[in-house]
Amino acid sequence: MPETSPLFDEFGRCLPTGINAPAHQKTRRYFLIDKPDINYSASYERLNQAFSISDAISQEQYESRVTSILAEIADNKLMKPILNGAMAPFILPKAVYDDIGQAMESTFLPAVQSAFNSFFPDYDFKNHSPRSLNGQLSVAPGSRHQQVLDQMANEVVVGVYFPCLSEYSVPAAIERMATLPEQFSLAGGFDTSAAFVSMPDLLFRKEGYPPLLWLSGLVSTEQNVAYHFEAYGYDLTFNRRVHLGQVAEYWSSGLVMIG
Amino acid sequence: MLNLAVEQSDSVLSADELAKREGLRARKPYVAEKLANIHAMEGRGEISPIIRLEKSYLCNFQCTHCSAEYYMDRHMEKVLHVKDERKKIDLDDIRKLSKEADELGLARFVITGGEPLVMRDLDEVVAAIDPEKHYVILDTNGWFLDDEKAKHLKEIGVEKIQLSLDSFIEEDHDNFRNKKGSYKRVMRAIDAALDAGLNLILSTVLVKGRAKTEEFLEMCQYCTDKNVGLYVSYAKPTGSCTEHPEFVIEKEDADVLRQLEKDYNVFTHMTPSYGSHKGCITVKGIITVTSTGEVTPCPYIDFSIGNLFETSLKEVLDRGMRNPWLGPHRPDCLIGEDPKFIKIHTEKTAGATHLPLPWGEGFSDNDSLTD
Ligand SMILES: C[S@@+](CC[C@H](N)C(=O)[O-])C[C@H]1O[C@@H](n2cnc3c(N)ncnc32)[C@H](O)[C@@H]1O
Ligand code: SF4
Repeated sequence: MPETSPLFDEFGRCLPTGINAPAHQKTRRYFLIDKPDINYSASYERLNQAFSISDAISQEQYESRVTSILAEIADNKLMKPILNGAMAPFILPKAVYDDIGQAMESTFLPAVQSAFNSFFPDYDFKNHSPRSLNGQLSVAPGSRHQQVLDQMANEVVVGVYFPCLSEYSVPAAIERMATLPEQFSLAGGFDTSAAFVSMPDLLFRKEGYPPLLWLSGLVSTEQNVAYHFEAYGYDLTFNRRVHLGQVAEYWSSGLVMIG
Repeated sequence: MLNLAVEQSDSVLSADELAKREGLRARKPYVAEKLANIHAMEGRGEISPIIRLEKSYLCNFQCTHCSAEYYMDRHMEKVLHVKDERKKIDLDDIRKLSKEADELGLARFVITGGEPLVMRDLDEVVAAIDPEKHYVILDTNGWFLDDEKAKHLKEIGVEKIQLSLDSFIEEDHDNFRNKKGSYKRVMRAIDAALDAGLNLILSTVLVKGRAKTEEFLEMCQYCTDKNVGLYVSYAKPTGSCTEHPEFVIEKEDADVLRQLEKDYNVFTHMTPSYGSHKGCITVKGIITVTSTGEVTPCPYIDFSIGNLFETSLKEVLDRGMRNPWLGPHRPDCLIGEDPKFIKIHTEKTAGATHLPLPWGEGFSDNDSLTD
């Protein structure tokens, strides 16, 4: 049953309504993402550098498709407050990958790395994951992340990433999907990586700490383990971690809307 | 203070670190095995905190910043005019703690205080911990660490020294530590510890703005050249340091330091180490056992999560891990950086005569981040 009660608070946080898995009902808004401005031209340049999409989509088309996603959200009273939070538009190439982990390692993480390095020549992106991701990752049941992969199989995908499931455990993020409008899916590896290619400074914060962002749309072959992006000072990192289904003030997941 | 550079995973070790570990394995195979297991434990989401043991708060210094000052008899008696009648831990309690910790896979003890090298029963305490079962580390201000003492410590089973040096400028260190000649003694202690074959790190307090100073860079360079780790402790506004809120760092200081970690042998308690990315190490990476058997989740948080005279170590650790302030993971230093927690801590401890505040008065199972 779709909900009729508020879905997001005034800062764009997805309210943890009706879930049993651990999530903080209230937040003191300590781990935050400063809402960055969207620079379509720079974002497009980086996405094109990473995924060579200029034959399939122009910068104007990118901007207009993002604008229509945002307009669709703005038109819906329940969804609209999500726009008060941070967001990152992105493009994903038309592609089918048999092995999500391998594609992360060979394509998406290197793309984040080079976008980050060109944006921040003095800082580093590091993949700390202690083992190869090959064969490690699949779509989390209930996450609706498959929607993104299915569309990627057919065409270049344009979407917007919203890191708005703050202070949710990984299971709570998945559980929350059951009652969110069907346009939303839980962010996984490709979409989150593309969001970082688009906006390498998403987690860059000088005055306070940003949250860790789980790829909750993906499950690992190891129980209670998930993968995530996380700032380390001015650097950006990718890593694996045991979450044990717990909640932490520092942990967030992201929603994605494609259009 | 702490030793994050001990064994985690063999995959990314320097030749020097590997040699140290092999040496330890030859001498103390049981300890080496437990240390090697920590990496796998953390990989499963289990914890193996270092236990800091504060059996005595006697000290020959009176430092500007000391977090332990308010636990000391001299403070309680002369400033607060109270006598500490609480039950104190003895050697049997330490033996029991050593066994309990061993059964939980914990592998490291830091003897601290106060100043361990003024403890009359230091040798007995080391024996009670049992250096064949646990990796034993000793914090010191270095005043009494000469060649003879260093050799003796090595002989009784101490593996590592954490030696405090708070400025690379002699006069500034001596002033901060309120002890003329202490810088020279630290320099002597460095050589004594290394000559005796002890592992050594220097421990230094980071006050606001210091990370960007020439002095600090020189200290980083010195430690790097000497192949001695420099452990940086953010100034925490507790104990005597409560009077120096201006010492508390800003995020920029921590971020500058994170960048320096790439070029120098310098680290904090939150620096990733051999595949371990714990962030704030409260409970997950460290606990302190005070002279009254109280367990605090961090050397600088004066709220207990339980008393070992009443509650098992396992239950105390579980309590800590389910507390939302201490809980599974955070990237910043709770008592050194989080203004809301610092405020709560300062307000609750203000006027307290007997620290730490017992479980239920500082931390409790009802804690909430948003109250
Ligand atoms: C309490 S002392 C005990 C051991 C020994 N007396 C010494 O000074 O090294 C342990 C360590 O804690 C550090 N320390 C004490 N108070 C502190 C504070 N308020 N903030 C940060 N570090 C502190 C000291 O500088 C020292 O390195
Ligand atoms: S920091 Fe160490 S040496 Fe200084 S007063 Fe505290 S316990 Fe003593």
